[in-house]
This record gives sequence, C-alpha cells and structure tokens, in this order.
Amino acid sequence: MTIVRDIHLSLEKKQILRREGIRQQSSVRPEIITLIDELLVSIGDEHLLESVCAYEIYPVSRIDHNQLSLAGNKVLHGPILTSALSDAGELAVAVCTIGTGLEKKVAEYLGGSEPLRGLLLDGIGSAAVDSLAQEACKLITDAALLRGYQTSSPFSPGMPGFPITEQWQLFRLVPAEEIGVSLAASGMMVPRKSVSMAIGLGQQATAWKRRDTCASCNLSNTCLYRWEVNNKHTKS
Amino acid sequence: MNGELTRAIADLEENEALRLTREKLDGGEEPQLVLEESRKGMEIVGKRFSDGTYFLPELIFSAEILKEITEIVKPKLTKEIQSERLGKCIIGTVAGDIHDIGKDIVVFMLDVNGFEVHDLGVDVPPQKFVDKITETNAPIVGLSGFLTLAFDSMKETVDAIKAAGLRDKVKIMIGGGQINEEIRKYAGADAYGQDAMTAVSLAKTWL
Repeated sequence: MTIVRDIHLSLEKKQILRREGIRQQSSVRPEIITLIDELLVSIGDEHLLESVCAYEIYPVSRIDHNQLSLAGNKVLHGPILTSALSDAGELAVAVCTIGTGLEKKVAEYLGGSEPLRGLLLDGIGSAAVDSLAQEACKLITDAALLRGYQTSSPFSPGMPGFPITEQWQLFRLVPAEEIGVSLAASGMMVPRKSVSMAIGLGQQATAWKRRDTCASCNLSNTCLYRWEVNNKHTKS
Repeated sequence: MNGELTRAIADLEENEALRLTREKLDGGEEPQLVLEESRKGMEIVGKRFSDGTYFLPELIFSAEILKEITEIVKPKLTKEIQSERLGKCIIGTVAGDIHDIGKDIVVFMLDVNGFEVHDLGVDVPPQKFVDKITETNAPIVGLSGFLTLAFDSMKETVDAIKAAGLRDKVKIMIGGGQINEEIRKYAGADAYGQDAMTAVSLAKTWL
C-alpha cells in the first residue's frame, strides 16, 4: 500500500462558499468573508489539517454484470463500476482524510458559543476534503501515466450505481486504519472529513466532470453543494 | 419602538444592534420591548433566508447577535421572565448516524428562539428518546439524520415512542440531508424540515 502524507491542499474561497451552501459569492456579507479568512489563518497556525492518502492498486481479473473481481479474490459491486470500467486492467482503491484536528475544533466552536465559526470551519473542512480527493486522483494518475495507463474519474460509495454498503468491501481493499480512518457501524468514515474512492486504470479510461456526477444524482436540482456548469473547478 | 434595532438586526449590523440595545436600556426602555423589537428583526432575517437573500451563515450570525442582545437584556428582566421558556424540545441524531452539525445548528436556533432544548447528541438509540420524553414531558421531538440509513432509525424511533404509549403526547419532526415528504410518511413523523428555520417555525406552531 502506498501512503502519501502532507498533501498540499488548495482552499479557494469559491469552493468554501459552495460547501457553505452559498452559490453567489458577491452576495455574501463582508463579515462572513472576514471570518473565513481568519479561520483559514487559524488552520495553518493550529495545524488543523493533516492530509493523508492511502491507496492500493489491484489487477482486474474479471468484470461481470454487477461485480468487479480483483486479484486475491477481492470484489467490488456496483453497476456503474462494471459499465464505466469495462476497459480497466487495474483498479486503484484509495482512502484519504484531513484527520481529526479540524473536526475537534468544529465541535469546540459548536459546543461553545460560536456556532458561526463552527459552521464555517466545517465548510472549510469539506472543501479541504474535496481538494484532497482531487490531489489524490492526480497522484494516482501521475503514477499510472508512468506505466502507460490512463485513469478514469473516481467513484465513491454512495454515488448512483455504487452502493454505500460497498464501503465495507472497499475498506477490505485498503487497510485505512494505518492512516487513522475506520468505519462506524453505519459505514460512515471516522474521521468524517474523509473520502474513499475507486479509480480504473487502463489503456483507455473514461473520465467525466464532477458536474456530470452531480447531474446524474437524484438530488441534482436541490442539493446545496452540487457542482454546476459555471463552476471552474471541474477537473475530476 | 422606532424600528432602528429591528433594522440593525435584519441587516446583520452587529455593533450597531448592540449599541442600540444598550442605548435603549440606558434610556429606560422596557427590556421586553427591546426583545420584541429584536424578535421582529429575526423575523425579517427568517424571511430573507427563506427567499434566498441570506444563507445559513447569515442566519446563524443573526442568531448570535440575538444571543448577545439577550445577554445584555437579561439582567434587566425579572427572575421569572429570565427563566421563562417557550417550551421543551428533545433533539438528537438517530442511531447509526453520527452527523452532528445540522443537529447542532437546530439546537442553537431553537435555544436562541426561546426553547428549552434537551440535546441527546448523536447515534441516539430509540429508548433514549423514550426515556427523555418520559423524564421531561417535552411535547416536541426532533430526529436528525443525514445518511439514507438513518431513515430506518427514524422509523424505529417513532415506533418506540408509539410502543411506549407516548406518541399522542408529542409532535415529531425529522430533518437532515435528504429528508422529504416520502421519508416523513415512512418514518411516521408529523413534519419534516429542510433547514433550521423551518424547525423553529414548526416548534412554534406546535406549542
């Protein structure tokens, strides 16, 4: 398993505001922007982000209707995996987290008398995880390119066609406890500010934009956090 | 009341709102009138939130301003009025789900709006809700859940409340990421809320 620590994250205001459910930056009150700036400084000062990614690459041995079989008798289920990764020769499985520091600080703010700071810091944490997922994809893509492979866009349990219950199976493929990530009884990752994903590697691979993933979701019209066409950051 | 404080709160002018509060109290204005004017400001904030002019951070900001005003006004109120609460609510994130931020925001908004809130935390088993209803006689229960897996827990919690013979004594609201009317019916709740403001409105309606 490959573990990469201290991954640099890009925390852009626009992405933070999207994670606060705000779609028009121009309409945000200056006090809110000032507070976000203060929190961004405090994140650095207090070392609240400990970004780390763990991933493993498996040869794909067989693709059936609903099952992707991997070397070592490992499997993942989901119709989107088998349809979109039909050309994949390998599968990269990754778990990434920003650690527990930010979550603890959010809880401190919310438990005290500063819920606004808690809310905004939580949004910053979500934007950080989004950025971490993008950086992890880049790491995997760069390594794949050196071997002459293309990479697909990432799939995460819970996306349409990749049941959330597959989270357990995915964690059998990546020993994420080595980076401090575990699963609660419900399948939720702990720390919560974590992301898991599967990426196909092959001579040809299908890539799409985040907004396309959002468009295929049944919450596409109402989700506060959706990626839209006018969103510049749609690489993965 | 000349509406200055109402406007300052509605426009989220924190310093101005606090200055006006002190000025009014120092000038001998009745503390309850100051609170009433503040409440009107919050009503405007609520409308702006509903029509999309304000977002959640602004809603929380306004509630923080109201909390600061309440702290200033409190010593001027009689002890009876100080401890007066609109009603009791029990809130928790249902068993199996550990999301807390949405629940915490609802707890804060209910508290600021005058409710006595009993926050049971996250991953709360049905029996804990039942025990708390029995202990407090709270007429309002809020079940929070972000995961789709939480829908079953919500139903189980409502069923447990029913089995304990308490269903007719409480109104139950549910809220979280993907809650809609279909989920409300499935869970057997009385209402659902898409945001913290709706939770406050529902709670006020049910008193």
